Amino acid sequence: MENMTRLLTKQLKTLSIFALFVLLCSIPAYYYVVDLIWLEELDEHNELIKERIENKFSTTEFSEDKLNEVLKLWNVLQPSTNIVVIDESKVREDFITEAERENEFEKGELDRYRILTSFIKINDKNYQLTVETNVEEAGETMAIIGLVTIFFFVILLLGFILINKRISLKIWQPFQTSLKKLKAFRLSDETKIAFDKTAIKEFAELNTELEQLISNNIEAYQRQKRFIENASHELQTPLAVLKSKLDLLLQSEDLTEKQSEIINAVALPLSRMTRLNKNLLILAKIENEQFSEKENLNLKNSIHENLELLEDYIKTKELKIELEVEPNYNLSANTFLLETLLSNLLTNAIKYSDTISTIKIKLTENLLKIINPGTQSLNQETLFDRFAVVSSSAINSGLGLAIVKETCLNNDWKITYSFDSNEHVFTIQF
Amino acid sequence: MKILIIEDEAELAKDIAQFLSSEDYLCESATNFTSAIEKINLYSYDCILLDLMLPGGDGIEILKEIKKQNKQDGVIIISAKNSLEDKINGLKIGADDYLAKPFHQSELSARIHSVIRRKQFDNSNIISQNELTIDTLSKIVSVDSIQINLTKKELDLLVFFIGNKNKVISKSALAEHLSGDVADMFDNHDFVYAHIKNLKRKLKNAGCPTYLTSVYGTGYKWKI
Repeated sequence: MENMTRLLTKQLKTLSIFALFVLLCSIPAYYYVVDLIWLEELDEHNELIKERIENKFSTTEFSEDKLNEVLKLWNVLQPSTNIVVIDESKVREDFITEAERENEFEKGELDRYRILTSFIKINDKNYQLTVETNVEEAGETMAIIGLVTIFFFVILLLGFILINKRISLKIWQPFQTSLKKLKAFRLSDETKIAFDKTAIKEFAELNTELEQLISNNIEAYQRQKRFIENASHELQTPLAVLKSKLDLLLQSEDLTEKQSEIINAVALPLSRMTRLNKNLLILAKIENEQFSEKENLNLKNSIHENLELLEDYIKTKELKIELEVEPNYNLSANTFLLETLLSNLLTNAIKYSDTISTIKIKLTENLLKIINPGTQSLNQETLFDRFAVVSSSAINSGLGLAIVKETCLNNDWKITYSFDSNEHVFTIQF
Repeated sequence: MKILIIEDEAELAKDIAQFLSSEDYLCESATNFTSAIEKINLYSYDCILLDLMLPGGDGIEILKEIKKQNKQDGVIIISAKNSLEDKINGLKIGADDYLAKPFHQSELSARIHSVIRRKQFDNSNIISQNELTIDTLSKIVSVDSIQINLTKKELDLLVFFIGNKNKVISKSALAEHLSGDVADMFDNHDFVYAHIKNLKRKLKNAGCPTYLTSVYGTGYKWKI
């Protein structure tokens, strides 16, 4: 989730990059167009001036001397035009050139000029007329266009961000609502989600598909639950028959020692299967919320009752139980579930502790810790999964901790496991 | 003594009858709701074993019928449902005991023994067998007139054995009887041996003959 961007941010980023690209490309285009118009205008302007000059000279009668004088004066006083005598052989079509010259008044400043060179006849003599006009330098034009472009880009960007915000608030609102409902969804609640009506086609489609998906899921979940419960119910009877047959077999008068051992060897996996089946049924029932009846229970009493039942197993392994239990902590829970939870945790602690070691049970306020020694941490990720614990122990239903977790989930308790200085620690926060 | 086994699984009903046959019990069985009701209406039993899930109706209704007729028959519910509500509900209506399937035959036998004793001998707490007398209420055990001190579990075992005389009882059945549901979570039931050793020693010291024998190290028998 860390490296994820929001859809709109991503869109904004892409749009902004595209806008920047387009605007950057527009700078030379603008420049080219502006320059073209600019030069066209200047050329027209130069042409006009030329025509006016030509016209003036052709309509005014000058004597040879007078003309020379006028032209001399002209060339001094009219710096942007120049008229000089030219040889007949050099007369050509008019042509346009461009030149860069240093500014007369500002050293180092280069000015660009557009020059029209034309050939006119005054008093039957050939003259070369040049008309020049200052043109804005390419660099300056480019810089100004660039600045303007960047200014508009900033406006565009601000606009994007603003619109984006509004869109994410308004247009995406049905999506956000649906998302919120999905986040709150728990399959085990088995309640379908009623999505809000939306006028946006995509969201409406999404909602319809989600509703379909969810209702299919709930159905599959219910089917699975029913299946587990029915299957374990169906298994009870054959298990009961098997168990009773073994009891009867044991009564045979002529039973040999070997046969007797075989009966016991069969009884062991049978009792494992019985436990497994019982646990499956408990899990199914927890999921079906069949343990909803709650009572006010004293946790210390429950722990003591459980330890009493386990007394013989504790003695066999010569375990020491260190009890540090707050006596007055009461909680509302289902009797059977709380008993099962404590029994499963304590049984595990007893089973997986070495002989002559210490199991610690601590209850402070609403925090229960069951601690037993161990050599290596259990897999925290799969610990509470069904059949996750791969154990060499012959009798392990693999469901004990799954029941513990399901019970906690059912009661809004929090169970955590940690391995600290060679101790397995199971903590339940009630 | 007459026992009615109301159980739809014929094989299981047959096993129960066979296990109980060596005692002076007379077993009858009903495999569905209607035949069960018929038998209850016609006869009286010392103990009725009642399965709750029956073809044709709910076993609880049979229990209600027994109570409605004000019958004194003892009732033990044997159910595969193993739900606390069923147990509480059944006991509230008037069942004497509740046993979840699957169970050991010895466990059922011990419970029948206890129910009949209470019903027949007018709520008597005294079990006696030859020189042995057990008061289950005051927890006093005596051999002839010598009192012996037994722990709760030793007393429990003694009563269990007397309710299963001449039967071979496996160690796991004894462990289950003593620790209940948690027994099948462990594969080591050596503690049973320790309790039995102590029980045997105490009985012997008080001059009781050796009724309790080990069978191939896999089970025990109260031989009489």
